[in-house]
Amino acid sequence: MTDSFRRAGGRKLISRSSAQDLGSVAHLLVDAERRQITAVVVGRGKKARLVDWSEIGGFGPDAVMVSDESALRPPADDRERLAADGKLELLGQRAISELGNAMGTIDDVTFDPVTGALENLRVGDREVPAGAMLGSGSYAVVLADHEDPLP
Amino acid sequence: MKLLMHASQINGLPVVTVQGGEDVAEVRDVIYSPEAGHLVGLTLNKRGFLSGRRREVLPAGAIHAIGRDAVMVDDESRLVLPEDAPDDVAHPGADRNVMGDDVLTESGASLGTVRDLVLLVGSAGDVVGYEIEKVDGGRGYIPLPAQLAVSGSALVVPDITEEFVRDDLVGLGAAVDDFRARLGLR
Repeated sequence: MTDSFRRAGGRKLISRSSAQDLGSVAHLLVDAERRQITAVVVGRGKKARLVDWSEIGGFGPDAVMVSDESALRPPADDRERLAADGKLELLGQRAISELGNAMGTIDDVTFDPVTGALENLRVGDREVPAGAMLGSGSYAVVLADHEDPLP
Repeated sequence: MKLLMHASQINGLPVVTVQGGEDVAEVRDVIYSPEAGHLVGLTLNKRGFLSGRRREVLPAGAIHAIGRDAVMVDDESRLVLPEDAPDDVAHPGADRNVMGDDVLTESGASLGTVRDLVLLVGSAGDVVGYEIEKVDGGRGYIPLPAQLAVSGSALVVPDITEEFVRDDLVGLGAAVDDFRARLGLR
C-alpha cells in the first residue's frame, strides 16, 4: 500500500482513547539519509506540534491515529523548529542535483504508511526513487547526479 | 556532465550543502590563477538581502560541483577561514585580476581585452578561456593554454590562439580541445 504527502496533507489526527480530533497534518518531516518519515507536523506556526513516527498507531487513509494527546510534543531542536515553521516542507521545495543544476520542484512524495519509508519523489513530470535523495533542508532537496537530465 | 559558464554567472550563485540542503553562502568572486590557468577557489558572501561578506573562502578542491544554479559542497565545514586555507586562496595577488588586460600574441598582435573568464564546470572547475572585446569592438572567445605569461596589464598567448578566436561559447567549447591538442597539451 502506498500513500502520498499530497493526499496526507490536512488529514485529521485522532486520539484513539478519547476519539478527539487533535489537529490536522500540516506536513511530514523526513530524514533524507534514511529515506524515512521521522515525524508528523500537526498545525502551523507557533501552535505546531510534532508526533514522532513511532507514536503513530495507524496512518490510515482517512485519519492518523495516536494513543492520546500526549503523543504531541513541541519542537525539540533547531531542525524541528525549522520544521514547525514549515521551512522543511518537501512539497513545493526546489529540487537541485548534486551537480548544482535546478531540476524543478517536489510535487509529491509517496511513502509506505506502515513503515514511513519514502518510495518516490515526483519532480515535475519525472518520478525519482527516494534513494536518489542525498539531502533535504530549508533551501533545497539535493538529488544524485544520475537523476540530472543534463547531458 | 560538463558545462561552460562565465565567471560572472558564477558570482552570486548560492553555495548549497549536498547533505543538508541548506544554502550556507553565496559566491562573491572567482579566484583564479592566470599563470596556471586554473580555478583556485571562491570568495563568499553571506546569504540574503543586504548581507555582507563571509570571512571563509572555498578552495577549489573543496567544491563538490559547480552548476548553472548552485555551487555544491558536501557540508559547511568545507568553507574554511583564510588562515586555514591554501595560501593562493587566502591571499590572491592583485595581479590576479585580468579583467581589462590586453591579450597579446607572442608576435605582438593584440587580440583584444579580457572581459570575462570562461570556466568548464561540473564536478570540477577549470578556466578554459576568456571572453574578450576584440579590437574591432565585437565580442569573441579565446581558448587558454594551461599556462601563460601575465603581467597585471597584459597577457601573452601563443600565436596560434588567433586561429581559435570564436564568436560564441559553443564555438569555444569545440575549440578548446583542438587548441590544446595543437599545443601538445593533451
